Amino acid sequence: MYRFRFHGRGGQGIKTASRIFSTAAFLEGFYAQDFPMYGPERRGAPVAAYVRVSHEPIVIRGYINKPDVVVVGDETLLYDPVADPLRGFGGGVLFVNTPLNPNLSVDGEVVTLDLTGLALEHIGRSGAISAGVGAVACKIAGFSESSMVDAVVRELEEIGLPDELIEKNVVVAKESYRGVPSFDLDSLPSLSESDFLETDIVHVRLDEGEVGIATIANLGNSAVRKTGNWRILKPIVDYSKCTGCKICFAYCPDVSIHMGEDGKAHIDYDHCKGCLICSSVCPFKAITMVREVKVM
Amino acid sequence: MSSNGGMMLTGNAAAAWGARVSDVDYIAAYPITPQTEIVELLSKWVSSGELKARFVEYESEHSMLAGAGGAALAGARAFTATSSQGLAFAFENLYAVSGWRAPMVMVNVSRGLGMPMTLQVDNTDVLSVKDTGWLQLHAETCQEILDFIILAYRLGEDRRVLLPVIVNMDGFFLSFTREPVYVPSVEEVREFLPPYEPPHGIAFSERELAYAPTIILGHSYTYFRYQMHLAALKAKEVFYEISRDFEKIFGRSYSPVEKFMLDDAEYAIVSMNSFTSIIKGAVKRLREEGLSVGVLKINMFRPFPVEEIAEALRGKKGVAVFELNLSTGGGGIIYPELLKALYHLDERPKVVLDFVGGLGGKELTYGEIRYMVRRVIDAYRGGEVSPHATLLFTEEDTRRMIADMELAGKSWGGF
Repeated sequence: MYRFRFHGRGGQGIKTASRIFSTAAFLEGFYAQDFPMYGPERRGAPVAAYVRVSHEPIVIRGYINKPDVVVVGDETLLYDPVADPLRGFGGGVLFVNTPLNPNLSVDGEVVTLDLTGLALEHIGRSGAISAGVGAVACKIAGFSESSMVDAVVRELEEIGLPDELIEKNVVVAKESYRGVPSFDLDSLPSLSESDFLETDIVHVRLDEGEVGIATIANLGNSAVRKTGNWRILKPIVDYSKCTGCKICFAYCPDVSIHMGEDGKAHIDYDHCKGCLICSSVCPFKAITMVREVKVM
Repeated sequence: MSSNGGMMLTGNAAAAWGARVSDVDYIAAYPITPQTEIVELLSKWVSSGELKARFVEYESEHSMLAGAGGAALAGARAFTATSSQGLAFAFENLYAVSGWRAPMVMVNVSRGLGMPMTLQVDNTDVLSVKDTGWLQLHAETCQEILDFIILAYRLGEDRRVLLPVIVNMDGFFLSFTREPVYVPSVEEVREFLPPYEPPHGIAFSERELAYAPTIILGHSYTYFRYQMHLAALKAKEVFYEISRDFEKIFGRSYSPVEKFMLDDAEYAIVSMNSFTSIIKGAVKRLREEGLSVGVLKINMFRPFPVEEIAEALRGKKGVAVFELNLSTGGGGIIYPELLKALYHLDERPKVVLDFVGGLGGKELTYGEIRYMVRRVIDAYRGGEVSPHATLLFTEEDTRRMIADMELAGKSWGGF
């Protein structure tokens, strides 16, 4: 059995990418099973999806702890403690969507490609990477390009994309597929490892009083979670044009714009998720955007 | 779709297909995660004309169920789906629909009830409605969801039964999991599932009927309630009959319980729903480690298959019950039902221990499964026994719980 784990952010189509891969496996004659995991459906929040591919019927389900292949759709997640994409990884293949050439010290093969760049170039949307991510996984597994394209079309039709957009996605998928190498998964050292977790049971006792009740003691702690690394496009205020009209301040859904003492809009980049509503509502076109390239 | 046959479907899609091939007439809907995909798909098919049915979105689950039950009485094959809080909101009308003896199918996508809030699985929702007069079938796989819906219509509509049926699947672990599912054609299903014509249905009765006896005294109340009980018990026998027909047409067979590597095992793990797949995988490995253990899966929780469980566990040295539920102040909900099935056996297992795990979709690890088996073996050899459920909670769970606590600004004293 091959175990693939996908990581990305809500809105990037990671679930769809995992389904593209799983459907391609199915079309290639494998048994397949895919399972996405996410909390409340928030754009930008970490999402994981698990795919098992096997020549035999699959009698197991749920999380994958020791993946053979990890596919990371968003480079900013690599060291995110919640997403923790490298957990249990060793001796397999790691793919990271990044424009950089990172020097990652992991036990295994590392493959990178700028899928976001391809999505921006062909589709015009930085988050439209599902076809690319799915295609990369198919190539790593050695599936045929025709099964991959067939799967991309089926899955994007399933979510109701118009034909024209599906065609653009197929272009991205083919370029992505051709941009990464194939691997002989059967020779990966990770395959010999069982996915079973050895764990010890601990005894939970009664905690009297408030401790054992689901309360939150430090109110307003959402500021602790810096959501700024969810951003792919960064809004920049041109202060020669900003009039301090407060429209962006009113529209920002994350309260990440405040009006400074200079009377102008200032962006809290620790928490701005890059939704760019500010840019679209600014009547003076004072907010532009640049692609953010993070340092890992 | 492929050489393996079938289609890659989520549990939710398998449920929608189950309703579609059962040729339902009336779909009462109200959205709730993780169930919404089911009614979304059905509404898409009704609007495209692929499914000839009436789709009605209600203002709450309470009304939704009243509407579906009413439609079933009026002569329509009715379907609905809900989950956790929605099931709780519909609770009162569960009794109304079963009391009307209105056969219909409701899929419950199992999820914990807040507070604290979760979107993930906890079977306490569906098990808390075990006394409402609805029969209950519990699915382990996406294929079982589809098959159980078809079986549930035939079962509930049988003139000896005439009761509504809940088909349960676990949220996320089935609802959003895709795996290969064989979908039969409407024609094939029609061969198995005859047209819906209940004798007491308004459309089929030979005379006019009213359905609202206002207040009746104890003798009649007792009689009608007990009739429901007898009908529910009868449903097990009927299930065997229809399963034989089902196998002839579809090639898959089901019984109220399923045995996995059990017959030659000295010890057993009893389980229900999707986590059984995880336990089966672990049991294969435990066998390789030399532990003589098998699995008894419960497919039917109402009526409770007492005789089948007694037969399957007769002569076993020990039994571990895995419960993805928690009746606070009681323990696992399956445990007392299981003990009832075993109490009068001559060769009953010497020890039966209860374990609670997987709550809120918490991972069930190999270590936890092996722990259950080791505890039971140890108890058989004279070690600790307890009627209380043991919680399956790991060091990793503790680490993550402490991290959440710290985020919430609370200090936790340790074990």
